[in-house]
Amino acid sequence: MEPIKNLEELQSLRDRIVAGRDENQLLITVCAGTGCLSNGSAKVAAALKEELDAAGLKGRVELKTTGCHGFCERGPIVVVEPAGILYQAVGRKKLEKDVKEIVESLAEGAEPVERLFYKDPETKKSIRGYEEIPFYAKQKRVALRNNGIIDPTRIEDFIARGGYGALAKALQMTPEEIIATLKESTLRGRGGAGFLTGQKWEFCRRAEGFPKYIICNADEGDPGAFMDRSIMEGDPHSVIEGMLIGAYAIAGGQGPIQGYVYVRAEYPLAVQNLTTALKQAKEYGFLGENILGTDFSFDIKLNKGAGAFVCGEETALMASVEGRPGLPRTRPPFPANKGLFGKPSNINNVETFAAVPVIVDRGPDWFKSVGVDRNGGTKVFSLVGKVNNTGLVEVPMGTSIREVVFGIGGGIQGGKKFKAVQTGGPSGGCIPESLIDLPLTYEGLMEAGSIMGSGGMIVVDEETCMVDVARYFLKFVTEESCGKCVPCREGTKHMHEILERICAGEGKEGDIETLERLGKAIAATSLCGLGQTAPNPTLSTIKYFRDEYEAHIKDKRCPGGVCKALITYRIDPDACTGCGVCARNCPVEAISGEKKQPHQLDASKCVKCGACREKCKFGAVIID
Amino acid sequence: MSDNNDGGGKKRGSVLIAGGGIGGMQAALDLGDSGFKVHMVQRDASIGGTMVKLDKTFPTGDCAMCMISPKMVEVGRHPNVNIISMAEIIDVGGVPGDFKVKIRQKARSVNPDLCTGCGACTRACPVRNVIDVPRPAAPPPLEAEMETALTEIVEAHDGDKAALITILQDVNEKFKYLPQEMLAHLAVRLGIPETHILSVATFYNAFSLIPVGRHIIELCSGTACHVKGAGRLLDRLREQLKVEAGQTTADQRFTLRTVNCIGCCALAPAMRVDGEVYGYVKVSELPAILKDHP
Repeated sequence: MEPIKNLEELQSLRDRIVAGRDENQLLITVCAGTGCLSNGSAKVAAALKEELDAAGLKGRVELKTTGCHGFCERGPIVVVEPAGILYQAVGRKKLEKDVKEIVESLAEGAEPVERLFYKDPETKKSIRGYEEIPFYAKQKRVALRNNGIIDPTRIEDFIARGGYGALAKALQMTPEEIIATLKESTLRGRGGAGFLTGQKWEFCRRAEGFPKYIICNADEGDPGAFMDRSIMEGDPHSVIEGMLIGAYAIAGGQGPIQGYVYVRAEYPLAVQNLTTALKQAKEYGFLGENILGTDFSFDIKLNKGAGAFVCGEETALMASVEGRPGLPRTRPPFPANKGLFGKPSNINNVETFAAVPVIVDRGPDWFKSVGVDRNGGTKVFSLVGKVNNTGLVEVPMGTSIREVVFGIGGGIQGGKKFKAVQTGGPSGGCIPESLIDLPLTYEGLMEAGSIMGSGGMIVVDEETCMVDVARYFLKFVTEESCGKCVPCREGTKHMHEILERICAGEGKEGDIETLERLGKAIAATSLCGLGQTAPNPTLSTIKYFRDEYEAHIKDKRCPGGVCKALITYRIDPDACTGCGVCARNCPVEAISGEKKQPHQLDASKCVKCGACREKCKFGAVIID
Repeated sequence: MSDNNDGGGKKRGSVLIAGGGIGGMQAALDLGDSGFKVHMVQRDASIGGTMVKLDKTFPTGDCAMCMISPKMVEVGRHPNVNIISMAEIIDVGGVPGDFKVKIRQKARSVNPDLCTGCGACTRACPVRNVIDVPRPAAPPPLEAEMETALTEIVEAHDGDKAALITILQDVNEKFKYLPQEMLAHLAVRLGIPETHILSVATFYNAFSLIPVGRHIIELCSGTACHVKGAGRLLDRLREQLKVEAGQTTADQRFTLRTVNCIGCCALAPAMRVDGEVYGYVKVSELPAILKDHP
């Protein structure tokens, strides 16, 4: 491939690709995101290929693997175009039969395979079309616009969808115009803090010193969040295009600029797809010297993280890129003035970069109109936990939590009661049922004691213990604290010890107050964002679920039935049918009983592993 | 109590301390302050021991130099402490309370009473190594396999010290852990202190300094997995494998690790064995999964 030298060449290439494609071409796409791969989608794709060949359809039906559709719960996902039929959980039980029937349904006049349709858990109705499934119908996909549609390893797919068109447009604008466009669009940092992206770029443009650096923060460390992973896996070129526009806006016409992508090593597929995409972008001349015939040059290097949560913090990330332990440092000087290798640097998150091309392409007014005041555009959330439809959802800013959890998520699993959503990972907080109509904006979440964060949204039900959730996050922070500043290193450890004690049934009067005092002190005095926000999960659960803390401390009772020291398992003799499954699965032989007679559980032997409870079909194992 | 002391005339006896590391130095200061004459025998040219080579100390992560350097200065000028450096104990005789110790003082060829440590002699000396300043010993030679692997990896990154983390990742990928003898060689090749490499290797979770088992179990402990019962999975794995998270079973079959999030939140609770993801794992399924990995 000869590098593309100007706009006309890009346009004619796109025309050629599009002209070579037939809208009525039969196309089967198989999701190859990490979620679906774990569910066996690689086998499905291989079986489909074989079956298509065997049926003599080779060449007539195109088979394609795509990035994440977001509906990981129902994977592996197979979509048949142009009819837009979505098959879910393909091959989970009967691989051969599923694949055979899908291929047979391609024949003219044949009916689609209804048993693989998505079934609405409430109405029990089968839904055939992609767009009609409530999970998708209520979303608005901007950052995820190409996910599940293009093959991430083929740059032609991306170009056919208008890819790199925004770059071409941006290169005809002045850097100042791009920054003004970004500021006007009210795009804010999707990594969590919500700083205005255009303004950040402006600071870096005004700073003196070369080369400048532009860094993509893909160290998505928040547990329970995977939107950046999906974008990198499913649409890596969008991130590259966003970085290109950013680089031009920051250093265009000034001097040299170098790009870095810092990816978590825990995401092998994202690393692989990004590496491929970078190579292709170089071949096509989108990266390198004199991009699209202009005098602007830019290249991107990929760095892998090594498993340290704190490296998501910008100054720690830069230390890590320089090959040092990822310790944050005090600011100022801010990275915009003195960042990577001491030069002006700009860091944005993956989702932020992925949104940039759309803003340049469709204009700031369109982007603003999608969201609400000062919160333009959409936000991707990873909706997980005890909700029916787990997966990635992208909604306009300002959508209510209720709409996301119930409208898109389909409510709580097993008909249980909603208790709270946790947003923002270890830096965020828990939002209780009373605030469920809260619109999802940076300010709204902040007022409720949580933060937007990178977009993790973990739904918890009545069987979750909020004290245990707080303990969990503090344990996380104590392990991930880099140890540089005392409040974070020692303070969180003490908070964690107190919570461990409360969960073990050894809580004391005054513990809650001590936690609150410690929490406020840590938030006020820590060096970086990790410590400053570490007390949030604890403080917000104390604020909204104080009664649960009190139940643990005063009554030595865990209302959620989670804290091992405060619960016992027993078998309900009325519900037990005596099938013996529990006894067979008990690792310590604590369950005994005659066949077809109610069994007994010896609490003195029980290690509370819960194996009996998850195996019992009759709900006879009860937690007290 | 062989000697009369010179610490005020009231207390008797002198003490000999073998080794001038942090422990020896603290003992010397405590004894010296309480009036004992202390003789500190040190094999190297300088006191300080291992701690001066460390960046941070366990478990508080405090800066090693900040703790030890004031003590070194104090020991050096304490009137009751007599440092006998470049010396080795060759014989200890006598009974408790009345020891007789034979010390071999190695040739120094510089009068320590007059030397101010200005360094002019080392710069002026036409023959290298005659004036000895402590320096790390050359690391022992590596096994052939490690030697070749290290050469390949370092060359792939042009010996760039900024690529340290990537280099360590490559070593970790090949050997599943970071053999410490390799790190010593890496330090020489990249021209950076071994302490710096160790500070990086111990900071990041992805690196292990001890060998791992044949199969690596990575139990996801992300939030979604946690609320869906990953804690119970961990308890069962710990019980069955008889190891804690981060450890390897005695038969080297499994290494059990917890990772913060593998991004498979929709499949919670999830775990990875040798990179292969298992979703919706139940406690009762664990024995079968372990059995598949002999």
